[in-house]
Amino acid sequence: MIRIEPTAWAAMVAHAREAYPRECCGAMLGSENANGRLVTVTRPMRNAFEGAQEDTYQLDPAEQLAVEKEARAQGLSVVGIFHSHPDCDAYFSKRDLQNSCPWYSFVVLSIQKGEFHHANSFLPNFDQTAAEQEQLEY
Amino acid sequence: MPKILIPTPLRQFVDKQDAVTVAGATVGELLQALTNQHADLRKHLYNDEGKLRSFVNVYLNDEDIRYLDKDATAVKDSDTISIVPSIAGGR
Ligand SMILES: [Zn+2]
Repeated sequence: MIRIEPTAWAAMVAHAREAYPRECCGAMLGSENANGRLVTVTRPMRNAFEGAQEDTYQLDPAEQLAVEKEARAQGLSVVGIFHSHPDCDAYFSKRDLQNSCPWYSFVVLSIQKGEFHHANSFLPNFDQTAAEQEQLEY
Repeated sequence: MPKILIPTPLRQFVDKQDAVTVAGATVGELLQALTNQHADLRKHLYNDEGKLRSFVNVYLNDEDIRYLDKDATAVKDSDTISIVPSIAGGR
């Protein structure tokens, strides 16, 4: 399960609303233990996809390196990645799955008509062939 | 020895360390040494055919090794290797 603290959650929703009608993306920083993951800091990231961002996102690897360094400096871990689905449900699409990795929680926020609607979290497998839905609290 | 920074979710496979130093002359040798020492890490980085998984990008300092000499990229003692997953998506 993954729990997102209120300030981190507010920052995620704000980033998703700002990007609307484009997809936003970012990293979730916090900690993890046997009970699950706790997100304390949201780190908005640039959608690096060069093309229509209404239905696509891509992380910038150079920014990922920077985020990993920032997390280390704060004594935090990158525990997940989030992105938004403008005017669409918060499901894990085929392309989301095929371009995922099994190391993180993937939170998808549904933004409908510019406002937050609902969210889900997913745990993809090693071969990017299936993702399990994970309990999400915020 | 060159240092390999370990992303958080993989630290459980390297005795909770956030960085590991290993000996080797190339990036490929370092990753082999790392996954030989920490066998549970192997399946996260390599597929069954022994190739780096498609989502695994390896950086030497701030450079993607795909744009250097890939596995054969030479490494100095002062270098840092990072493992960065490639992540994207769309409907
Ligand atoms: Zn998506």
